[in-house]
Amino acid sequence: MKPARASYLLPAPALLMLTGVIALPALYVFYLSFTESSFGTETRFVGFANFAHIVSDGYFWTAFVNTFIVVNVIVYGELLLALAIALLFAGGVPFRKLMFSIMLMPYATSQVVAVIVWRYMLEPDVGIITQVLANLGLPALEWTLNRWHGLTIVSLVSIWLHLPFTFIILYSALISVPRELQEAAHVDGATSWQTFRYVIIPYILPAILVAMMFRFVFAFRMFAEVWLLTGGGPIRMTEVLATYLYREAFRYHNFGLASATGWLLLVATLIIASFYLFQMYRRTLKHDA
Amino acid sequence: MRRTPLHSALRLVALALVVLWSAFPIFLIVTASLKPSREIFSFPPSFVFVPTFENYVELFRRWPAFVDALVNSLIVTVGATLLTIAFATLAGYGFSRLRSRFLTGSAFYMIVVRMFPPIIVTLPLFPIVNFLRLNDTHAILIVIYCTCYLSLGSWIMKTFMDQIPRELDEAAVIDGATLGQILVKVILPLSTQGIVAVGVFVFIFSWNEYLFAFIFTATEAKTGPLILAEMLGSIEGVDWGILFAAATVELVPILVFVLLVQRFIVAGLTAGSVKG
Repeated sequence: MKPARASYLLPAPALLMLTGVIALPALYVFYLSFTESSFGTETRFVGFANFAHIVSDGYFWTAFVNTFIVVNVIVYGELLLALAIALLFAGGVPFRKLMFSIMLMPYATSQVVAVIVWRYMLEPDVGIITQVLANLGLPALEWTLNRWHGLTIVSLVSIWLHLPFTFIILYSALISVPRELQEAAHVDGATSWQTFRYVIIPYILPAILVAMMFRFVFAFRMFAEVWLLTGGGPIRMTEVLATYLYREAFRYHNFGLASATGWLLLVATLIIASFYLFQMYRRTLKHDA
Repeated sequence: MRRTPLHSALRLVALALVVLWSAFPIFLIVTASLKPSREIFSFPPSFVFVPTFENYVELFRRWPAFVDALVNSLIVTVGATLLTIAFATLAGYGFSRLRSRFLTGSAFYMIVVRMFPPIIVTLPLFPIVNFLRLNDTHAILIVIYCTCYLSLGSWIMKTFMDQIPRELDEAAVIDGATLGQILVKVILPLSTQGIVAVGVFVFIFSWNEYLFAFIFTATEAKTGPLILAEMLGSIEGVDWGILFAAATVELVPILVFVLLVQRFIVAGLTAGSVKG
């Protein structure tokens, strides 16, 4: 049966939106990165000057190094925590439904509200975590003054916000591991660790990789956590690439410089996502045949 | 697996830590909003106290803009959700039922565009939005939020529609139904699961979004998160009681919503990332 010709136009609205709002502007940013302009007007072609400027800008490298560190801490930290909690849940927990709901709660929380409550808990001198640390005789987190303390808090808030996502993906994969597989391993005399390492991990590896890829891609864009917690300070030491981009564009009106940063962000993202995209490309093609 | 008592005890401790990690910050927000200002930072925190609504009274007295912002949030959120559902349903049906090189290519194109960091499009969009006088309107946020979730939305819809038997469409065609009739009378009633799953993601995202609202609104279309950020960044020092009252008003409805629709979140995430 031949489908109506009009039905080929069904994806058109979605495709037009994506092209008009994201794809074309992104291409235009590529052009802007070779120009000097303010608010995208009266552009002047400057070749690679913006990229040259970025490479020699200390603030860019600070933002670059911060992003690299924070993104890795977040992704691997989340992965380990989510895996541990997923295993805990898969092993059976009391009030499973309620516990699952509790685990999901940060998913509903906005970045702003998360920053509010973590800042409250970490307020110098009076915050609840500050006081617990002091009572335990541990050094205080001077996140308003110290670059690494600031980045620690940023990572913590981000992990808190996104742990439900990683948890859901890993937990769904974990409960789909066939029981017979684990029992067979047990019968063959495998220890719990061996079963985990050689049966469960290989089985859920695709889910682990997909969860990590998405978290890498999304952590790379991090803006609000940093902007609202430290504002990139003190003296731009806790900036990440997205806040660097924002500041250059909307505070200093260096649209060319911001565009060059944006394009680097895009390329880095696509490199991280490339294995997933390649896999999806093969799968969609197979579907087509 | 054999369980020793020690093993079980350790599991319970781990579970308690999970609850503390996930729920305690949210518990703090709500309880602190009901405490008189001087008690908010008392340590150890008071768990038994006489709740007061003075923070809420003060919030609505001193921040009338917050109510406007909540209305804006609601308009933008509902608008973006409906628009995304409409376009994602159309696209999902197309991807699910038709085969052509162009459609395969465009489905893949959607996944690629989904990876683009949205912050970069603010650079060229900012002057265009100003030129079109769309700055500080609900429309611009609705369009942007919808676009952010069209890729995931279309893929979720495709996954759900793949499960609807094609024979139903074919029977409808034989009965002389048009494409529009098939969509509305046959497909829509059977894809409510997918529609809810798509809607849930856009809804949560739009209600909570900060960056685009921060860049594209000024006064008229400001959303809830922006007012919260303003309160947090206030130069005269943060008024924590009022801030927590506002955070509670902002958070609790969406939290209840998330808990009600959690199975759709799980279904949508696994359909959108692992399978799709």
